[in-house]
Amino acid sequence: MAEPKEPQQPPSPPPGPALPAAGPDDVSLLIDDRPVVVRKGTTVLQAAEQAGLLVPHYCYHAGLSIAGNCRMCLVEIEKAPKLQIGCATAAAQGMVVRTQTARVKSTREAIMEFLLINHPLDCPICDQAGECRLQQYEAAYGAGRSRFNEEKVHFPKRYDIGRNVVFDAERCIKCTRCVRFCDEVSKTHELALFDRGDHAIIGTFPGRPLDNPYSGNTVDICPVGALTWKPFRFRARVWFLRDVPSACAGCARGCSVNLATYNNRIHRITPRQNMQVNRFWICDAGRESHAPLSERPRLAGPRALAACKGGPQQEAAWEEALDRAAELLRETAKAHGSGALAGIVSARLSVEDLHLARKALSEAAGIPRLGVPPHVEGEDDHLLIRRDRTPNAKGAALAGPGAPHAGRVKEILEDVAAGRVRALVVVGEDPLGDGLIDAAALGRLDALIVIDWWKSPTAEAAHVALPSCGYGECEGVLVNFEGRAQRMRAALRPWAEAEPTWRILRELGRRFGLAGEYPTASAVFDEVAATVPAFAGLSHRALGGLGAVVKEA
Amino acid sequence: MPYEPLLLRNAGKPGSETIDAYLASGGYQGLRRVLKESTPEKMVEEVKASGLRGRGGAGFATGVKWGFLPKTRDKPRYLCINADESEPGTFKDRLLIEKDPHLVLEGIILSAYAIECRTAFFYIRGEFHQGCRVFQRAVDEAYAKGFLGKNILGSGYDLDLVLYRGAGAYICGEETALLESLEGKRGLPRIKPPFPAIVGLYGCPTIINNVETLANVTLIAERGAAWYATIGRPPKNTGPKLYCLSGHVKRPGVYEAPLGVPLMELIEERAGGLLRPDRPLKAVVPGGSSMRILPASKCDVLMDFDSLVAAGSMLGSAAVIVMDAGTCMVWALLSLARFYAHESCGQCTPCREGTGWFVKILERLEAGQGRPEDVDLLTDVANKVEGNTICPFGEAIAWPVQSYVKTFREEYEEHVRRKGCPLAATATVS
Ligand SMILES: Cc1cc2nc3c(=O)[nH]c(=O)nc-3n(C[C@H](O)[C@H](O)[C@H](O)COP(=O)(O)O)c2cc1C
Ligand code: SF4
Ligand code: SF4
Ligand code: SF4
Ligand code: FES
Repeated sequence: MAEPKEPQQPPSPPPGPALPAAGPDDVSLLIDDRPVVVRKGTTVLQAAEQAGLLVPHYCYHAGLSIAGNCRMCLVEIEKAPKLQIGCATAAAQGMVVRTQTARVKSTREAIMEFLLINHPLDCPICDQAGECRLQQYEAAYGAGRSRFNEEKVHFPKRYDIGRNVVFDAERCIKCTRCVRFCDEVSKTHELALFDRGDHAIIGTFPGRPLDNPYSGNTVDICPVGALTWKPFRFRARVWFLRDVPSACAGCARGCSVNLATYNNRIHRITPRQNMQVNRFWICDAGRESHAPLSERPRLAGPRALAACKGGPQQEAAWEEALDRAAELLRETAKAHGSGALAGIVSARLSVEDLHLARKALSEAAGIPRLGVPPHVEGEDDHLLIRRDRTPNAKGAALAGPGAPHAGRVKEILEDVAAGRVRALVVVGEDPLGDGLIDAAALGRLDALIVIDWWKSPTAEAAHVALPSCGYGECEGVLVNFEGRAQRMRAALRPWAEAEPTWRILRELGRRFGLAGEYPTASAVFDEVAATVPAFAGLSHRALGGLGAVVKEA
Repeated sequence: MPYEPLLLRNAGKPGSETIDAYLASGGYQGLRRVLKESTPEKMVEEVKASGLRGRGGAGFATGVKWGFLPKTRDKPRYLCINADESEPGTFKDRLLIEKDPHLVLEGIILSAYAIECRTAFFYIRGEFHQGCRVFQRAVDEAYAKGFLGKNILGSGYDLDLVLYRGAGAYICGEETALLESLEGKRGLPRIKPPFPAIVGLYGCPTIINNVETLANVTLIAERGAAWYATIGRPPKNTGPKLYCLSGHVKRPGVYEAPLGVPLMELIEERAGGLLRPDRPLKAVVPGGSSMRILPASKCDVLMDFDSLVAAGSMLGSAAVIVMDAGTCMVWALLSLARFYAHESCGQCTPCREGTGWFVKILERLEAGQGRPEDVDLLTDVANKVEGNTICPFGEAIAWPVQSYVKTFREEYEEHVRRKGCPLAATATVS
């Protein structure tokens, strides 16, 4: 029943620099002799971070409550006899904090030693190796040796703790980040700490595995290799991966993400902190949204029907295929009037794609009707997921052919079935695969021109199929449901002969007299910024990593 | 002058646990007087003036602790009674609960009144089956007689008391783990600050007091702070105290004496002296298993908060564990370390990992596989646990490790040299 009473006082410090003045909502303090001014309520760890000093930590995570259990962040605070945890100690006016003293350093060594005595040290076969906090901090703060000569505690390894998450209890440092995530963020409460002492183990309750729409975040925030993402396990050593900042195109939230690539493949998608959009998290569907890129059959090069109808699709050169598409449209207009032309354009495309869809298809080629199909599924949830699964509905409304509208699409497709529409351009959509129209009805068209990244049923039925870039292969801007414009970045070389959609549309448009240069996506966006008031003042560069809000009327 | 027991005045008598016996001996008079004549503020002042210090382990001044409650009344205030008593060697609260529950209950009502609490929680160790039954009956009796419930004794003061049984973890005696457990969660100590007086049970201001502490409040209400403050070793070590004697003594048990009674008097006169005449005293743990050990040469000490700090240990729960010359100090520490390794909540790194490490090193030493560096390693690991944990459980094992090794270093080294326990043949390891 001890309550600690520490006798010794730290030696009084040499006089440091003077404290800066603080406003009424601020406090000023000294951290390693650096004057820092922070908002009241800021912790010492956060204050140090603001001053550019890292206080090493495992259990602290800016998006979770404070647990204070790892003890890695212990620092010296003048007048406090014991070291204090930086993550839970509020910065106070006049506080003097030291993060580099011999006492702090030897305590960090001790914490590292404690964390490693029962750790399996299986870095060579651990997916976390290369981005593991144990590795990083042992190198930076550890003593580099162990005095532990005993048998380690053994726990289950390679344990399926959830549908997509594998747990290695021996690697776990019991920081409870994963537990707090499930309690506080996903609010699904699957995880808990069980048992005690050095037998304490993270686990689930009987019959309730870790299975929620956000389970992958536990893997991201696990500072060690205890939780791993099944689809990514043993796929790539992380030091070969290159993170490209981008935005998720899975739904109208448009979470900020990193696309981790190696060998021209996305191996995983992880959240990128953006407090205006997704904070620290993404959903599991977004995380796996790169899977179709490798799972679905790609459209490798342009294809066109040799004769007008009935024959098989054949490979064609780009110029040839584009000429053929233009010719088909022109012939149909001539024979049946421009009212027999229509288009279906996707709100999953970027602002640049949609702008050129408008320019090339509506203005240049004179297609009078473009429909944008909505894609909705389920309900908006409490965290990120939007029922609107189109990432750029707002962009389509502001800069493209209009907001998604089921009725308009239905009308167009009914006209196709009735033979009133005789040429249809489909960009990034698959009405046949989505069941919006049947093959027989689609077969009545004199011209079906499809721009898409994969061999969708609609693309397979096309007279001319033009291969576009898939997700992660091109640059472009998405506007999320809250009006935040963010950049999608090209992380991969385009597959085979694929081209960015906006460039395909530019080339098609040119065949109808489209004038603009449009050399790059960023130039296309500049034209949007110059012509659409909502985008005034924006540019790819101005959007930066976190995006900017468009001005809505 | 023989000492007249105050806390154990009823405990030995037949039927002492019933309300009738308690009332017959003058019980609940203090409560009547206070409800009639006093106010909560005056009651707090009275307890401050008595000098009462907590009997749960830390010896913190009770009235001062109550004074930490916020001045605002926008949230309910709670009193939690810590009856989790699980520290090895400690069994005093159990005696009070089983033998004189109304003495405790009266103190609870008085203290709840003082801190303006309307719901109190009695957190009792789950294994105290008898205590639970007895205390529940006492609570029922108190409700029936109007000492609990609405409008107590016509004073307009309401108090409800909830009996809550722990699920069997030592750590739930730590006050913030106790709160978590009461809230229905796993008993994990909270980081402090905030302290429970500000943010406690269900986020409300909460006072946690030990059973014996509250029994003392009854005495103060009965006979006044001035009288109380003369008992023991005033001004800082006042009042009667229950001492739990165990180990190698003839008559182990709970003994009452004022604070400041000489340790040797407890051992020799009250507990009947050492168990075996051929084995002299080797060491005493004066305050429960978490406290530093005193070698026989330092046992000429008074049993109170400040004297024991001066002697290098603490009064703790006043559990006096006596060890004679047949005790192996490696084995004794191993036995202790096993308890702490088992009971560490596992939350924070140094304690979770350190407690198990102690056991493994000590097991090797006992088994004759010790290495010379193990002796310093034990101390160094303990030094790294001490002061670096969420709750004082870290010290509760670090202090014994440090002090056993320091005080009996020679014995540890001998285990290494001789590849085993030099006392193995004779040790009383039961
Ligand atoms: C590991 C641990 C176990 C404890 N167990 C008990 C206990 O069983 N009973 C108790 O009264 N106090 C126990 N305490 C002390 C309590 O945290 C707290 O200080 C005490 O209940 C306060 O009461 P008091 O002020 O009346 O002494 C324990 C402390 C620790 C660190
Ligand atoms: S699994 Fe990872 S996140 Fe969860 S407690 Fe263990 S180390 Fe922390
Ligand atoms: S919530 Fe939407 S935008 Fe965010 S990761 Fe999931 S699918 Fe992508
Ligand atoms: S010191 Fe031990 S008992 Fe206390 S919180 Fe840490 S692990 Fe739990
Ligand atoms: S980061 Fe502060 S204790 Fe873990």
